[in-house]
Parts: sequence; structure tokens; C-alpha cells
Amino acid sequence: MATSSHSNPDRASDEANTTPPSNTPRQQAASSLPNQPSTPDATVTTAAAGTPPVAQQAGATGFDVAGTTRANALSNMQYVVDLADSVVCIADDLHERILLEIASYNGRTMPDAQKALMRTLTDDELLLRQYAHALYANAATFVVYDLGEPQHRLMALTAEAAEKIRRIGIIGEAAGLVGGILLLAGSIARGQFSQVGAALEKIQVHNAALKTLKPGLPPKA
Amino acid sequence: MGFWGMGGGMARKVLVLVGLLVAGCASTAQVSLGEVREFADASARLGGYAELSRRYRDTYVREMPYLSPQAERVARETDASRRAVFDDFVAIQKTLVLYMQTLSSLAGDGRYDLSGRIDDLGSGLKAMTDSGLKQRHVAAYTGMTRLLTRVIASRYQNRSVDAIVRDGNEDVQTLIDAMILLTRIYEKANENEQKTVLGIFNAEIPMANRNADRMLVTLAKVHLQNKTAEYKLIDRRYKLAQQGLTKVALGHQKMRENMDKLSSEETRRMLAGYVHDLNLIRDALSGE
Repeated sequence: MATSSHSNPDRASDEANTTPPSNTPRQQAASSLPNQPSTPDATVTTAAAGTPPVAQQAGATGFDVAGTTRANALSNMQYVVDLADSVVCIADDLHERILLEIASYNGRTMPDAQKALMRTLTDDELLLRQYAHALYANAATFVVYDLGEPQHRLMALTAEAAEKIRRIGIIGEAAGLVGGILLLAGSIARGQFSQVGAALEKIQVHNAALKTLKPGLPPKA
Repeated sequence: MGFWGMGGGMARKVLVLVGLLVAGCASTAQVSLGEVREFADASARLGGYAELSRRYRDTYVREMPYLSPQAERVARETDASRRAVFDDFVAIQKTLVLYMQTLSSLAGDGRYDLSGRIDDLGSGLKAMTDSGLKQRHVAAYTGMTRLLTRVIASRYQNRSVDAIVRDGNEDVQTLIDAMILLTRIYEKANENEQKTVLGIFNAEIPMANRNADRMLVTLAKVHLQNKTAEYKLIDRRYKLAQQGLTKVALGHQKMRENMDKLSSEETRRMLAGYVHDLNLIRDALSGE
């Protein structure tokens, strides 16, 4: 059974490492079980782990070819779980980034406008987590989504976006990007596929804009 | 669901089965099945899954106070879809428990009167079509209910431990597989919930540093402490439940493989080992 820490390539570049690697006991449990459907999953995941991180690939090609093969081999349920995991991942990175910003004030009082921004971003984080919940519920109920390409692009883009959020210099810049991701994750979680295209465009515009910004630390303490 | 209602293929299968049963009776007549009964009892009593299913169903209720209006709207929709499938998720476990109780009765003194329970089986899986269970899970559920209905309705006549284990093993494995898959999703949802609840405090507490905030910050810290402890306790239970289910699946598989030498010292020791492990897991689950 593939788990988030294996199938989310952006974790490879994770220096904060806040997500505990909870896969080991599960995999043990799964592999020791007869009649488990996990064997193909595990094999394919191992194969996919050898490919370069999606975060880099997506920038060049915009599409993860290795992911296509993997998706076909994985059950739909596992795919929806992976998708939910990646939304959780973004929420985690956004959360870390918010805490880092707050910590940079080091006990000094934060201006009200900045506090308001932190709360807006926290609300966005919570909304992302609700979309992840919706996807987990879908995985459990195995509603089969025929998403194809948007799912792959979501995976690639979310990996890239999560990395961006962590490294963004001025936290205000994160808001636009997060808005696009929210729209995308929300469209998929609710099956509103007509909005997926617009959401992808929005994320890409922000990603492009963010590329011109130098990654750096938040404002001095 | 009666014998005569079955298709030709099924009827043939049953006839073959009856043949096996007669053979099975003969071979286990003088065998002590104490370990089989204990294994079945320990499996039936395992616990964990039902409680975690309820916890998953009630995610929204716990999260609600922490959500923004926008997040709450999404949460309400998810809540409805969780509730829609809850009965099915629990029905799987009830069937497995009934199977283990039936097995225990066959292996022992027949202390359970299970005839009243057949009615529960008839309804099938309610949300079958859009349920999270794959087709093979649904098929296993149907197969298992058929087997149990036959065995219990016949009041165990001409039924033996051999036959029910042989006939039931594949469905047992598939149903436990479904329960493990679901428990993993429950676990992920719980992690996400935990981050939702604790995350807000981690962001808000350091921002509230005015004198007027002091009492509020203190209360928030107490609340955070309690919530952290609560999640720490619940975290363990997902792993324990998964371990327990895995043990049940393995034990049953081993029993199936060693059907012809159930009375051997080796097989009995092996089953006793599973019983021991299952009791430890059960104690850990009920120890909190």
C-alpha cells in the first residue's frame, strides 16, 4: 500500500520534516496479510520513487509522465487517497510557513493588518484540510472520478506549490497562490470539473509570478 | 435466502460442500478444538474497528467549533457522505464477528444461540453501489452471509470446523482486508482532524501577547494540552486495530492451511500464540 510519504515527491526536499513517517507498521501489516491487494501498489510505487521529483519535472514539462503509468496501476481508491495526502501536505507547509512568520516577530506585537493576513491564511489552511477530508471520504466510498489529466497536474502542481509556499519571501505573496490551490482542490473534491481548468491557470499564473521572487527568509526578527 | 433459491452452480457447490462436510466430520470427531474455539472467541471480541468507525463518522461534530463558516460548509457535505456509508462499514464487522461466533460454536459447546442473528444478515450492504468497498469486498460479504445463514439455519447439523474454515477463509480474508483499508483511511482523517484542531492554537496563542489576552491565552493553553493528550491516546488505537485485524487474518489463514493437522501439538501451539497476541491487543485497546 502506497502512503503519502512515498508517493509525494515533494517530501524528498522537505527539511522541516514535521510529518511522522507513519507508513512502516501499515506496510508491515499489509505485506504480512494474505490476499492483500497491495502488492501491485507497492511495486509500482517503488518504481516511481526512482523518478526525479515532480516539483522539478513539472516546471520543465508541466506533466508527470511517470505518474501516468503509476496512476493506471493504482486502484482508484488509492489514487484518491494520494490526492488527499498531497492536499494535506500543502496545508502542512502553509501551516509551517504561517508559524514561521509569527515566530519571526519574536514576542513583539504583530501589526493588526499582519494578524488579519495570518488569520486569512489559517482559514485557507483549514479549508484545504476540509477538502482533504472530502477526498478521504470519497476514497472510503470509492466514488470513481474520471479525472485523468487534472489529477496528475494537481499532483505535480501541488508538489511545486508546497515547496514555493515554504520558501516564499513575503508571506502576502502566498495568498494568491493558495487561492488558486483552494479553487482547484475544492473543484476536485466536489466534482466540479468545469472549474478545474480555470483553477490550473490561476495557479500557473501565480507560480510564474513567484518564480521572479527570490526565495528567502521571512522579515528579520 | 434458501437453498432452493440458488442457481444450479450454487446448488452444485453446496452438494460438493456437503460431501466435504461429511468427510470433515469424520476426521475431526476426536480432535480437541479448544484452541480453535479460543481463537474464534478472541477474534470475535477484538474490538477497535467499530469504535474507530464511529469516531470517523463523528469527525464533523468534533471539528465544528474550530471551523470558519466556509470550511464548515464543506465539512457538512463530507459529514453527510461519511454518515451515508457508516452502516455498511459496520455491517462488515458484524458479519465477521458472527462468523467467528459460529466457528466458536462449532468448535465448542455451542454456547451461542445465533439463530436470532440470521435476520440481521438478510439486508445486505445498503449503499453497495457507491460504497467504498470494491466489488470483491461486496461479493465476500454476500458469500459470508450465505455461508452463515446455511450453517446457522441448519443448527450446525452436518457442519464441521473444517468445512466452515475451508469455505469461509477467502471471504474472511477479503472482509478483513476491507476493514484494514478503511481503518487506514480513518487514521488519515484523524491526522488531518488533529492538525485542524491543534493548528489553530499553535497559530493564535503566540499572536495573543497583549496583557488583556492573558486569561484567554491560559485557557487556550489548557485546552491545547487536553486536546494533545486526547489525540495522542487515539493515535495508538489505529495501529492496534490494524495489528489485531492482521492477526485475525493470519491466524485464520494458518488454520486453513493446517486443517488436516488441527490436533497436532504444533498447530495448537501456533493458534494459542495468535490467541495470546489477540488478547494483548484487546487489553491494550480497552486499557485506556
